[in-house]
Amino acid sequence: MFMLLINSIISGILAGGLCGAVGAMCNRLRLTTIAFSIAHAALAGSALALTLGADMISLAILFALISATILGPLADQLRIPLDLVSMILFSMYNALTFIFILSAPGQVLMTESVGQLLWGSVLAIRPTYIAYLLLTFVIILAFLTLFWGKINSLLFDIKLAEAEGVNVRIYKYVILIIAGAAITLALRMTGGFLVFSLLYIPAAASLQLQANMKWIIAASWLLGSTSASMGLLMSFLYDLPAGSCITIAALIILAGASVYSRLRVSLAVEGRPR
Amino acid sequence: MEEGPNRYAVELESVSTYYYGEKRPAIQNINLKIDVGSLALIIGPNGAGKTTLLETVLGLLRPREGRIKVLGYRIPKEVLKARALCAYLPQDFMKPPMEPFTAREVVAMGLASNSFMGMLSDDDWRKVDRSLELLGMLEYANKPFGKLSGGQQQKILLARALVREPKLLLLDEPFSAIDQKTRSYIVSEVFPDLLRKGCTILLVSHDSESLLINPSVIIRMRDGFVEQVIIRNVHVAH
Repeated sequence: MFMLLINSIISGILAGGLCGAVGAMCNRLRLTTIAFSIAHAALAGSALALTLGADMISLAILFALISATILGPLADQLRIPLDLVSMILFSMYNALTFIFILSAPGQVLMTESVGQLLWGSVLAIRPTYIAYLLLTFVIILAFLTLFWGKINSLLFDIKLAEAEGVNVRIYKYVILIIAGAAITLALRMTGGFLVFSLLYIPAAASLQLQANMKWIIAASWLLGSTSASMGLLMSFLYDLPAGSCITIAALIILAGASVYSRLRVSLAVEGRPR
Repeated sequence: MEEGPNRYAVELESVSTYYYGEKRPAIQNINLKIDVGSLALIIGPNGAGKTTLLETVLGLLRPREGRIKVLGYRIPKEVLKARALCAYLPQDFMKPPMEPFTAREVVAMGLASNSFMGMLSDDDWRKVDRSLELLGMLEYANKPFGKLSGGQQQKILLARALVREPKLLLLDEPFSAIDQKTRSYIVSEVFPDLLRKGCTILLVSHDSESLLINPSVIIRMRDGFVEQVIIRNVHVAH
Protein backbone atom coordinates (compact mmCIF):
# COMPACT_ATOMS: atom_id res chain seq x y z
CA MET A 1 0.00 0.00 0.00
CA PHE A 2 2.81 2.36 1.01
CA MET A 3 4.68 1.61 -2.25
CA LEU A 4 1.52 2.37 -4.25
CA LEU A 5 1.30 5.75 -2.53
CA ILE A 6 4.99 6.53 -3.22
CA ASN A 7 4.61 5.44 -6.85
CA SER A 8 1.51 7.62 -7.18
CA ILE A 9 3.33 10.69 -5.90
CA ILE A 10 6.35 10.08 -8.17
CA SER A 11 4.03 9.60 -11.15
CA GLY A 12 2.10 12.71 -10.24
CA ILE A 13 5.26 14.78 -10.08
CA LEU A 14 6.50 13.50 -13.45
CA ALA A 15 3.25 13.36 -15.46
CA GLY A 16 1.87 16.58 -13.97
CA GLY A 17 5.10 18.40 -14.75
CA LEU A 18 5.20 17.10 -18.31
CA CYS A 19 1.62 18.08 -18.99
CA GLY A 20 2.08 21.49 -17.36
CA ALA A 21 5.12 22.32 -19.51
CA VAL A 22 3.58 20.96 -22.71
CA GLY A 23 0.30 22.75 -21.96
CA ALA A 24 2.11 26.11 -21.53
CA MET A 25 3.83 25.66 -24.91
CA CYS A 26 0.67 24.49 -26.70
CA ASN A 27 -1.25 27.42 -25.25
CA ARG A 28 1.39 29.85 -26.47
CA LEU A 29 1.45 28.27 -29.94
CA ARG A 30 -2.39 28.26 -30.01
CA LEU A 31 -2.46 24.48 -30.25
CA THR A 32 -4.86 24.01 -27.35
CA THR A 33 -7.38 21.90 -29.26
CA ILE A 34 -4.72 19.38 -30.29
CA ALA A 35 -5.03 17.93 -26.81
CA PHE A 36 -8.60 16.89 -27.57
CA SER A 37 -7.69 14.79 -30.57
CA ILE A 38 -4.53 13.31 -29.00
CA ALA A 39 -6.28 12.42 -25.73
CA HIS A 40 -9.17 10.82 -27.57
CA ALA A 41 -6.79 8.97 -29.88
CA ALA A 42 -5.27 7.40 -26.76
CA LEU A 43 -8.78 6.69 -25.52
CA ALA A 44 -9.67 4.95 -28.80
CA GLY A 45 -6.40 2.98 -28.60
CA SER A 46 -7.20 1.85 -25.05
CA ALA A 47 -10.75 0.90 -26.06
CA LEU A 48 -9.38 -1.14 -28.95
CA ALA A 49 -7.05 -2.87 -26.50
CA LEU A 50 -10.11 -3.83 -24.40
CA THR A 51 -11.76 -5.32 -27.46
CA LEU A 52 -8.67 -7.21 -28.55
CA GLY A 53 -7.51 -8.08 -25.05
CA ALA A 54 -4.19 -6.35 -25.79
CA ASP A 55 -2.00 -4.09 -23.60
CA MET A 56 -3.82 -0.79 -23.06
CA ILE A 57 -0.77 1.45 -22.57
CA SER A 58 0.94 0.25 -25.76
CA LEU A 59 -2.11 0.74 -27.98
CA ALA A 60 -2.97 4.08 -26.34
CA ILE A 61 0.57 5.36 -26.94
CA LEU A 62 0.53 4.05 -30.51
CA PHE A 63 -2.77 5.77 -31.33
CA ALA A 64 -1.73 9.04 -29.65
CA LEU A 65 1.65 9.14 -31.37
CA ILE A 66 0.10 8.39 -34.77
CA SER A 67 -2.40 11.15 -34.15
CA ALA A 68 0.27 13.65 -33.04
CA THR A 69 2.41 12.73 -36.05
CA ILE A 70 -0.32 13.07 -38.67
CA LEU A 71 -1.96 16.24 -37.30
CA GLY A 72 0.61 18.69 -38.69
CA PRO A 73 1.09 17.09 -42.14
CA LEU A 74 -2.70 16.61 -42.49
CA ALA A 75 -3.32 20.30 -41.79
CA ASP A 76 -0.63 21.21 -44.32
CA GLN A 77 -2.00 18.84 -46.95
CA LEU A 78 -5.66 19.78 -46.51
CA ARG A 79 -4.66 23.45 -46.13
CA ILE A 80 -7.01 23.95 -43.20
CA PRO A 81 -6.12 25.17 -39.69
CA LEU A 82 -4.60 22.68 -37.26
CA ASP A 83 -7.45 23.28 -34.79
CA LEU A 84 -10.02 22.19 -37.34
CA VAL A 85 -8.11 19.03 -38.25
CA SER A 86 -7.79 18.33 -34.54
CA MET A 87 -11.55 18.57 -33.99
CA ILE A 88 -12.24 16.32 -37.00
CA LEU A 89 -9.93 13.67 -35.57
CA PHE A 90 -11.46 14.19 -32.11
CA SER A 91 -14.91 13.28 -33.50
CA MET A 92 -13.52 10.29 -35.35
CA TYR A 93 -11.75 8.92 -32.25
CA ASN A 94 -14.88 9.38 -30.12
CA ALA A 95 -16.87 7.39 -32.66
CA LEU A 96 -14.20 4.65 -32.69
CA THR A 97 -14.04 4.57 -28.86
CA PHE A 98 -17.79 3.89 -28.54
CA ILE A 99 -17.67 1.24 -31.27
CA PHE A 100 -14.66 -0.51 -29.66
CA ILE A 101 -16.16 -0.43 -26.14
CA LEU A 102 -19.49 -1.82 -27.31
CA SER A 103 -17.74 -4.48 -29.42
CA ALA A 104 -15.63 -5.65 -26.46
CA PRO A 105 -16.43 -9.13 -25.15
CA GLY A 106 -18.57 -9.48 -21.97
CA GLN A 107 -19.97 -6.75 -19.76
CA VAL A 108 -17.04 -4.51 -20.46
CA LEU A 109 -18.88 -1.27 -19.65
CA MET A 110 -19.06 -2.38 -16.05
CA THR A 111 -15.41 -3.32 -15.73
CA GLU A 112 -12.78 -1.39 -13.87
CA SER A 113 -10.72 -1.13 -17.08
CA VAL A 114 -13.30 1.16 -18.67
CA GLY A 115 -13.44 3.19 -15.48
CA GLN A 116 -9.65 3.63 -15.55
CA LEU A 117 -9.90 4.65 -19.17
CA LEU A 118 -12.51 7.31 -18.61
CA TRP A 119 -11.69 8.83 -15.23
CA GLY A 120 -8.26 7.49 -14.25
CA SER A 121 -7.05 5.45 -11.32
CA VAL A 122 -4.11 5.19 -8.93
CA LEU A 123 -4.23 1.44 -9.57
CA ALA A 124 -3.01 2.14 -13.11
CA ILE A 125 0.36 3.23 -11.71
CA ARG A 126 2.93 0.44 -12.10
CA PRO A 127 6.77 0.47 -12.25
CA THR A 128 6.70 0.19 -16.08
CA TYR A 129 4.46 3.23 -16.21
CA ILE A 130 6.94 5.21 -14.06
CA ALA A 131 9.76 4.10 -16.37
CA TYR A 132 7.83 5.41 -19.42
CA LEU A 133 7.21 8.67 -17.59
CA LEU A 134 10.86 9.05 -16.61
CA LEU A 135 12.03 8.44 -20.17
CA THR A 136 9.57 11.00 -21.58
CA PHE A 137 10.57 13.47 -18.85
CA VAL A 138 14.27 13.19 -19.80
CA ILE A 139 13.51 13.53 -23.54
CA ILE A 140 11.35 16.64 -23.08
CA LEU A 141 13.80 18.27 -20.66
CA ALA A 142 16.69 17.63 -23.08
CA PHE A 143 14.69 18.99 -26.03
CA LEU A 144 13.76 22.17 -24.13
CA THR A 145 17.27 22.74 -22.76
CA LEU A 146 19.18 22.07 -25.98
CA PHE A 147 16.92 23.91 -28.39
CA TRP A 148 15.59 26.64 -26.09
CA GLY A 149 16.92 29.51 -28.26
CA LYS A 150 14.98 28.32 -31.30
CA ILE A 151 11.90 27.26 -29.32
CA ASN A 152 11.86 30.70 -27.68
CA SER A 153 11.86 32.33 -31.11
CA LEU A 154 8.97 30.11 -32.18
CA LEU A 155 7.01 30.89 -29.01
CA PHE A 156 7.46 34.64 -29.59
CA ASP A 157 6.25 34.69 -33.18
CA ILE A 158 6.03 31.75 -35.56
CA LYS A 159 6.04 33.80 -38.77
CA LEU A 160 9.10 35.81 -37.75
CA ALA A 161 10.92 32.65 -36.70
CA GLU A 162 10.07 31.08 -40.06
CA ALA A 163 11.26 34.18 -41.93
CA GLU A 164 14.59 33.94 -40.11
CA GLY A 165 15.19 30.35 -41.18
CA VAL A 166 13.94 28.35 -38.18
CA ASN A 167 12.48 25.10 -39.50
CA VAL A 168 9.12 25.86 -37.94
CA ARG A 169 7.39 22.80 -39.36
CA ILE A 170 9.85 20.36 -37.75
CA TYR A 171 9.72 22.09 -34.36
CA LYS A 172 5.91 22.17 -34.43
CA TYR A 173 5.76 18.48 -35.27
CA VAL A 174 8.21 17.62 -32.48
CA ILE A 175 6.15 19.65 -29.99
CA LEU A 176 2.99 17.84 -31.16
CA ILE A 177 4.63 14.43 -30.73
CA ILE A 178 5.94 15.40 -27.29
CA ALA A 179 2.42 16.59 -26.38
CA GLY A 180 1.08 13.25 -27.61
CA ALA A 181 3.46 11.30 -25.37
CA ALA A 182 2.73 13.47 -22.29
CA ILE A 183 -1.05 13.28 -22.79
CA THR A 184 -1.06 9.51 -23.28
CA LEU A 185 0.90 8.96 -20.10
CA ALA A 186 -1.17 11.37 -18.04
CA LEU A 187 -4.32 9.70 -19.34
CA ARG A 188 -3.65 6.66 -17.16
CA MET A 189 -3.95 8.77 -14.03
CA THR A 190 -6.57 11.33 -15.03
CA GLY A 191 -8.66 9.43 -17.56
CA GLY A 192 -9.74 10.61 -21.00
CA PHE A 193 -12.22 13.19 -19.78
CA LEU A 194 -9.97 15.08 -17.39
CA VAL A 195 -6.51 15.01 -18.94
CA PHE A 196 -7.08 18.61 -20.08
CA SER A 197 -7.10 19.74 -16.45
CA LEU A 198 -3.38 18.91 -16.20
CA LEU A 199 -2.62 20.46 -19.55
CA TYR A 200 -4.31 23.80 -19.27
CA ILE A 201 -5.13 24.65 -15.64
CA PRO A 202 -1.41 24.77 -14.58
CA ALA A 203 -0.66 26.78 -17.75
CA ALA A 204 -3.41 29.25 -16.82
CA ALA A 205 -2.13 29.46 -13.23
CA SER A 206 1.46 30.13 -14.39
CA LEU A 207 0.23 33.02 -16.55
CA GLN A 208 -1.14 34.65 -13.37
CA LEU A 209 2.42 34.89 -12.08
CA GLN A 210 3.50 37.21 -14.96
CA ALA A 211 7.00 35.93 -15.52
CA ASN A 212 9.10 35.60 -18.66
CA MET A 213 8.52 32.66 -21.02
CA LYS A 214 11.14 30.39 -19.47
CA TRP A 215 9.61 30.90 -16.01
CA ILE A 216 6.07 30.44 -17.31
CA ILE A 217 7.02 26.98 -18.59
CA ALA A 218 8.95 26.18 -15.39
CA ALA A 219 6.06 27.41 -13.20
CA SER A 220 3.54 25.45 -15.27
CA TRP A 221 5.75 22.37 -14.86
CA LEU A 222 5.90 22.90 -11.09
CA LEU A 223 2.19 23.64 -10.70
CA GLY A 224 1.29 20.63 -12.85
CA SER A 225 3.46 18.42 -10.65
CA THR A 226 1.88 19.84 -7.50
CA SER A 227 -1.69 19.46 -8.84
CA ALA A 228 -1.14 15.85 -9.92
CA SER A 229 0.63 14.71 -6.74
CA MET A 230 -1.89 16.51 -4.48
CA GLY A 231 -4.79 15.04 -6.48
CA LEU A 232 -3.41 11.51 -6.38
CA LEU A 233 -2.86 11.81 -2.63
CA MET A 234 -6.49 12.93 -2.21
CA SER A 235 -7.67 10.07 -4.43
CA PHE A 236 -5.62 7.61 -2.38
CA LEU A 237 -6.79 8.92 0.99
CA TYR A 238 -10.51 9.32 0.21
CA ASP A 239 -10.92 6.59 -2.43
CA LEU A 240 -12.16 9.02 -5.08
CA PRO A 241 -11.50 8.98 -8.87
CA ALA A 242 -7.92 10.16 -9.53
CA GLY A 243 -8.86 12.41 -12.48
CA SER A 244 -11.49 14.31 -10.47
CA CYS A 245 -9.13 14.83 -7.51
CA ILE A 246 -6.34 16.09 -9.80
CA THR A 247 -8.74 18.54 -11.46
CA ILE A 248 -9.92 19.85 -8.08
CA ALA A 249 -6.31 20.23 -6.88
CA ALA A 250 -5.39 22.10 -10.10
CA LEU A 251 -8.39 24.43 -9.68
CA ILE A 252 -7.42 25.19 -6.06
CA ILE A 253 -3.89 26.08 -7.26
CA LEU A 254 -5.33 28.28 -10.06
CA ALA A 255 -7.50 30.11 -7.52
CA GLY A 256 -4.46 30.59 -5.24
CA ALA A 257 -2.32 31.93 -8.12
CA SER A 258 -5.11 34.28 -9.14
CA VAL A 259 -5.50 35.67 -5.59
CA TYR A 260 -1.70 36.07 -5.32
CA SER A 261 -1.62 37.90 -8.65
CA ARG A 262 -4.37 40.33 -7.60
CA LEU A 263 -2.75 40.94 -4.21
CA ARG A 264 0.58 41.64 -5.86
CA VAL A 265 -0.96 44.17 -8.25
CA SER A 266 -2.88 45.97 -5.50
CA LEU A 267 0.20 46.07 -3.22
CA ALA A 268 2.26 47.51 -6.09
CA VAL A 269 -0.39 50.21 -6.68
CA GLU A 270 -0.51 51.10 -2.96
CA GLY A 271 3.28 51.20 -2.75
CA ARG A 272 3.56 53.74 -5.58
CA PRO A 273 4.38 57.34 -4.51
CA ARG A 274 1.38 59.65 -4.90
CA MET B 1 28.70 45.83 -59.98
CA GLU B 2 30.35 42.40 -60.12
CA GLU B 3 29.36 39.92 -62.83
CA GLY B 4 28.61 36.28 -62.05
CA PRO B 5 25.96 34.10 -60.49
CA ASN B 6 25.47 36.31 -57.43
CA ARG B 7 25.26 39.64 -59.15
CA TYR B 8 21.61 39.76 -58.16
CA ALA B 9 20.33 39.59 -54.63
CA VAL B 10 16.81 38.85 -55.82
CA GLU B 11 15.70 37.38 -59.14
CA LEU B 12 12.06 36.78 -60.02
CA GLU B 13 10.99 35.32 -63.32
CA SER B 14 7.29 35.32 -64.30
CA VAL B 15 6.23 34.92 -60.67
CA SER B 16 2.53 34.77 -59.75
CA THR B 17 1.27 34.15 -56.21
CA TYR B 18 -2.30 33.31 -55.29
CA TYR B 19 -3.82 33.24 -51.82
CA TYR B 20 -5.52 29.96 -51.01
CA GLY B 21 -9.01 29.78 -52.51
CA GLU B 22 -8.54 32.95 -54.56
CA LYS B 23 -8.91 32.87 -58.35
CA ARG B 24 -7.20 36.21 -58.86
CA PRO B 25 -3.45 36.31 -58.14
CA ALA B 26 -2.19 38.68 -55.45
CA ILE B 27 0.88 39.32 -57.61
CA GLN B 28 1.05 38.42 -61.28
CA ASN B 29 3.82 37.78 -63.77
CA ILE B 30 6.51 39.59 -61.80
CA ASN B 31 9.92 39.87 -63.47
CA LEU B 32 12.53 41.60 -61.34
CA LYS B 33 16.28 41.57 -60.85
CA ILE B 34 17.70 43.52 -57.95
CA ASP B 35 21.45 44.07 -57.80
CA VAL B 36 23.43 43.13 -54.73
CA GLY B 37 24.07 46.20 -52.56
CA SER B 38 21.13 48.23 -53.80
CA LEU B 39 18.30 49.91 -51.95
CA ALA B 40 15.04 49.05 -53.68
CA LEU B 41 11.93 50.96 -52.70
CA ILE B 42 8.64 49.20 -53.45
CA ILE B 43 5.75 51.64 -53.60
CA GLY B 44 2.09 51.48 -54.49
CA PRO B 45 -1.39 51.86 -53.04
CA ASN B 46 -2.94 49.48 -50.51
CA GLY B 47 -3.64 46.08 -52.06
CA ALA B 48 -1.03 46.57 -54.79
CA GLY B 49 0.78 43.38 -53.75
CA LYS B 50 3.82 44.89 -52.00
CA THR B 51 3.69 42.69 -48.89
CA THR B 52 2.84 39.62 -50.99
CA LEU B 53 5.93 40.32 -53.09
CA LEU B 54 8.18 40.46 -49.98
CA GLU B 55 6.65 37.30 -48.51
CA THR B 56 7.00 35.49 -51.83
CA VAL B 57 10.67 36.46 -52.02
CA LEU B 58 11.20 35.05 -48.51
CA GLY B 59 9.30 31.86 -49.37
CA LEU B 60 6.60 32.57 -46.77
CA LEU B 61 4.11 32.42 -49.63
CA ARG B 62 4.60 29.83 -52.32
CA PRO B 63 4.20 31.11 -55.90
CA ARG B 64 2.00 29.09 -58.22
CA GLU B 65 4.09 30.04 -61.23
CA GLY B 66 7.57 31.32 -61.94
CA ARG B 67 11.07 31.01 -60.55
CA ILE B 68 12.73 32.80 -57.65
CA LYS B 69 16.32 33.05 -56.57
CA VAL B 70 17.45 34.83 -53.42
CA LEU B 71 21.19 35.46 -52.97
CA GLY B 72 21.80 32.66 -55.45
CA TYR B 73 19.57 30.15 -53.66
CA ARG B 74 16.47 28.72 -55.34
CA ILE B 75 13.20 29.32 -53.54
CA PRO B 76 11.52 27.25 -52.14
CA LYS B 77 14.06 24.41 -52.55
CA GLU B 78 16.92 26.14 -50.71
CA VAL B 79 14.76 28.50 -48.70
CA LEU B 80 16.36 27.79 -45.29
CA LYS B 81 19.83 28.64 -46.63
CA ALA B 82 18.52 31.87 -48.14
CA ARG B 83 16.58 32.86 -45.02
CA ALA B 84 19.69 32.41 -42.87
CA LEU B 85 21.17 35.37 -44.80
CA CYS B 86 18.02 37.50 -44.66
CA ALA B 87 16.29 39.62 -42.06
CA TYR B 88 12.64 40.63 -42.14
CA LEU B 89 10.61 43.29 -40.43
CA PRO B 90 6.90 42.57 -40.94
CA GLN B 91 4.18 45.18 -41.31
CA ASP B 92 2.12 46.35 -38.29
CA PHE B 93 3.87 44.03 -35.85
CA MET B 94 2.51 44.73 -32.39
CA LYS B 95 2.39 42.49 -29.32
CA PRO B 96 0.05 42.87 -26.31
CA PRO B 97 1.29 44.10 -22.89
CA MET B 98 1.31 40.59 -21.34
CA GLU B 99 3.99 39.39 -23.75
CA PRO B 100 6.47 37.33 -21.64
CA PHE B 101 9.69 38.39 -23.44
CA THR B 102 12.07 41.26 -22.76
CA ALA B 103 13.27 43.53 -25.56
CA ARG B 104 16.77 42.05 -25.23
CA GLU B 105 15.42 38.50 -25.60
CA VAL B 106 13.51 39.52 -28.73
CA VAL B 107 16.66 40.92 -30.35
CA ALA B 108 18.66 37.83 -29.31
CA MET B 109 16.15 35.62 -31.17
CA GLY B 110 17.49 37.14 -34.39
CA LEU B 111 20.85 35.48 -33.68
CA ALA B 112 19.45 32.30 -32.10
CA SER B 113 17.68 31.33 -35.32
CA ASN B 114 21.03 31.28 -37.13
CA SER B 115 23.12 29.59 -34.43
CA PHE B 116 23.52 25.89 -33.78
CA MET B 117 20.61 24.70 -31.60
CA GLY B 118 19.84 28.37 -30.88
CA MET B 119 22.57 28.79 -28.27
CA LEU B 120 24.25 32.19 -27.91
CA SER B 121 27.81 33.01 -26.83
CA ASP B 122 28.93 36.01 -24.75
CA ASP B 123 30.05 37.65 -27.97
CA ASP B 124 26.53 37.18 -29.41
CA TRP B 125 25.01 38.92 -26.38
CA ARG B 126 27.46 41.84 -26.88
CA LYS B 127 26.23 42.07 -30.49
CA VAL B 128 22.64 42.15 -29.19
CA ASP B 129 23.46 45.06 -26.87
CA ARG B 130 25.33 46.92 -29.65
CA SER B 131 22.32 46.55 -31.93
CA LEU B 132 20.02 47.90 -29.21
CA GLU B 133 22.43 50.78 -28.61
CA LEU B 134 22.54 51.62 -32.33
CA LEU B 135 18.82 52.35 -32.23
CA GLY B 136 18.91 54.04 -28.84
CA MET B 137 17.03 51.20 -27.15
CA LEU B 138 19.65 49.84 -24.75
CA GLU B 139 17.97 51.44 -21.74
CA TYR B 140 14.80 49.45 -22.57
CA ALA B 141 16.66 46.14 -22.95
CA ASN B 142 15.14 44.49 -19.88
CA LYS B 143 11.62 45.92 -20.30
CA PRO B 144 8.85 43.53 -21.36
CA PHE B 145 8.48 43.82 -25.13
CA GLY B 146 4.68 44.15 -24.95
CA LYS B 147 4.89 47.12 -22.59
CA LEU B 148 6.86 49.21 -25.11
CA SER B 149 5.06 51.66 -27.42
CA GLY B 150 4.39 50.78 -31.07
CA GLY B 151 7.38 52.82 -32.24
CA GLN B 152 9.67 51.27 -29.62
CA GLN B 153 8.52 47.76 -30.59
CA GLN B 154 9.29 48.61 -34.23
CA LYS B 155 12.80 49.77 -33.23
CA ILE B 156 13.38 46.55 -31.29
CA LEU B 157 12.38 44.51 -34.33
CA LEU B 158 14.69 46.60 -36.50
CA ALA B 159 17.49 45.92 -33.96
CA ARG B 160 16.63 42.22 -34.26
CA ALA B 161 16.92 42.45 -38.05
CA LEU B 162 20.23 44.35 -37.89
CA VAL B 163 21.86 42.02 -35.35
CA ARG B 164 21.68 39.26 -37.97
CA GLU B 165 24.07 41.27 -40.20
CA PRO B 166 21.88 40.32 -43.16
CA LYS B 167 22.83 40.15 -46.81
CA LEU B 168 19.23 40.94 -47.69
CA LEU B 169 17.05 43.11 -45.48
CA LEU B 170 13.31 43.09 -46.19
CA LEU B 171 11.40 45.89 -44.50
CA ASP B 172 7.62 46.18 -44.72
CA GLU B 173 6.48 49.69 -43.77
CA PRO B 174 9.28 49.94 -41.19
CA PHE B 175 8.63 53.55 -40.24
CA SER B 176 4.88 53.47 -39.71
CA ALA B 177 5.16 54.10 -35.95
CA ILE B 178 8.67 55.57 -35.73
CA ASP B 179 9.23 59.29 -35.03
CA GLN B 180 10.70 61.62 -37.67
CA LYS B 181 14.06 62.03 -35.89
CA THR B 182 14.69 58.28 -35.74
CA ARG B 183 13.54 57.81 -39.35
CA SER B 184 16.09 60.40 -40.50
CA TYR B 185 18.82 58.72 -38.45
CA ILE B 186 18.02 55.27 -39.86
CA VAL B 187 17.87 56.54 -43.44
CA SER B 188 20.97 58.73 -43.26
CA GLU B 189 23.21 56.60 -41.00
CA VAL B 190 22.02 52.99 -40.70
CA PHE B 191 20.99 52.28 -44.30
CA PRO B 192 24.17 53.70 -45.95
CA ASP B 193 26.29 51.69 -43.52
CA LEU B 194 24.43 48.48 -44.43
CA LEU B 195 24.73 49.21 -48.16
CA ARG B 196 28.47 49.83 -47.80
CA LYS B 197 28.76 46.37 -46.24
CA GLY B 198 27.10 44.83 -49.32
CA CYS B 199 23.62 44.38 -47.88
CA THR B 200 20.66 44.72 -50.24
CA ILE B 201 17.59 46.45 -48.85
CA LEU B 202 14.03 45.90 -50.07
CA LEU B 203 11.78 48.47 -48.48
CA VAL B 204 8.02 48.59 -48.84
CA SER B 205 6.26 51.88 -48.37
CA HIS B 206 3.05 53.54 -49.44
CA ASP B 207 3.29 57.08 -48.11
CA SER B 208 5.46 60.16 -47.99
CA GLU B 209 8.01 58.55 -45.68
CA SER B 210 9.66 57.36 -48.88
CA LEU B 211 10.64 60.97 -49.61
CA LEU B 212 13.40 60.68 -47.02
CA ILE B 213 14.92 57.70 -48.76
CA ASN B 214 17.38 57.81 -51.63
CA PRO B 215 16.77 54.47 -53.36
CA SER B 216 18.74 53.07 -56.27
CA VAL B 217 15.64 51.30 -57.60
CA ILE B 218 11.99 52.28 -57.32
CA ILE B 219 9.44 49.57 -58.04
CA ARG B 220 5.93 50.89 -58.49
CA MET B 221 3.17 48.29 -58.06
CA ARG B 222 -0.53 48.37 -58.80
CA ASP B 223 -3.18 45.60 -58.70
CA GLY B 224 -0.59 42.84 -58.31
CA PHE B 225 1.53 43.97 -61.25
CA VAL B 226 4.84 45.80 -61.42
CA GLU B 227 3.75 48.99 -63.14
CA GLN B 228 7.12 50.67 -63.42
CA VAL B 229 10.75 50.12 -62.43
CA ILE B 230 12.93 53.20 -62.16
CA ILE B 231 16.69 52.67 -61.90
CA ARG B 232 18.38 55.69 -60.38
CA ASN B 233 22.04 56.56 -60.47
CA VAL B 234 22.77 56.62 -56.76
CA HIS B 235 26.33 56.47 -55.57
CA VAL B 236 27.05 54.27 -52.56
CA ALA B 237 30.62 54.62 -51.27
CA HIS B 238 32.21 51.17 -50.90
